Amino acid sequence: MEFKELDPILHSQLRLAVISLLIGLKEAEFTFIKEKTNATAGNLSVQINKLKEAEYIQVTKQFKDNYPQTLCRITPKGIDAFEKYVLALQSYMKPG
Amino acid sequence: MQEAFNEKSSLQLIESMINKARNNFSESGTLYLLWGFVVLICSLFQFTAIQVFQYDKSHYIWFLTWLVVIYQLVFLSRKRKNETARTYTADIIKFVWLCFGVSMFLFIFILIKQQAYQSINPAILVMYGMPTFLSGIILKFRPLVIGGILCWALSAGSVLVPYNFQILFISAAVLVGWIIPGFLLRKKYLNQQ
Repeated sequence: MEFKELDPILHSQLRLAVISLLIGLKEAEFTFIKEKTNATAGNLSVQINKLKEAEYIQVTKQFKDNYPQTLCRITPKGIDAFEKYVLALQSYMKPG
Repeated sequence: MQEAFNEKSSLQLIESMINKARNNFSESGTLYLLWGFVVLICSLFQFTAIQVFQYDKSHYIWFLTWLVVIYQLVFLSRKRKNETARTYTADIIKFVWLCFGVSMFLFIFILIKQQAYQSINPAILVMYGMPTFLSGIILKFRPLVIGGILCWALSAGSVLVPYNFQILFISAAVLVGWIIPGFLLRKKYLNQQ
């Protein structure tokens, strides 16, 4: 049985939670992701930055009613990485 | 929450997050109910005015729908402002209804221009079926699918009755296609809150 290596960027609880959430959405605000993941703003901000640096998500900062708004959406590279991660997980889960 | 974790908990986390995104059901049924009741009132008013009072200017009641269009634009812009996440399904449904609105307008305009008045109500019923059925399929909400099919059945049935009674088929269509599914959507939405 061949074990595929798990992507270290995704094999972290909060980053995986963010990507799993964004996979089913067109885009989501920072506040929405924070609410659904129960993460602190500081930690979430750091992890979102790491996903952005890996080009797994696209982050857009803009203003909505004079308040700053951060919008996140998954990129094709992120979708690809997520699919590979799930396949790798499945190879671990299958009985030998 | 940032430390590494095992494969089983990874899969559980993925599943729970996908469900959280999926359960973000934002269709409250408000516009189905609003349009359903407005069209129901207009159609019943027109039928009563013609059949009971022989009042031949009753079709002006349909200008009420323009007020609803204005309200809808305000409602949608407010809803968009409060949204914190957007789904692909909501976007697709938006364009399905936009196609319906444009096609409806053109269909009625063409039929009036060609003085094909007898065909207006059956054509409207065909049009009602399309976005209702598609929304039901996209939202995986069976009452809308059934409502759409019933609109098409009513369309076929409407050509078998005298012209003045066709308008009652419009009333029936909005009842089964929009009002009943609208109430059920509202119930589902409120249960989720």
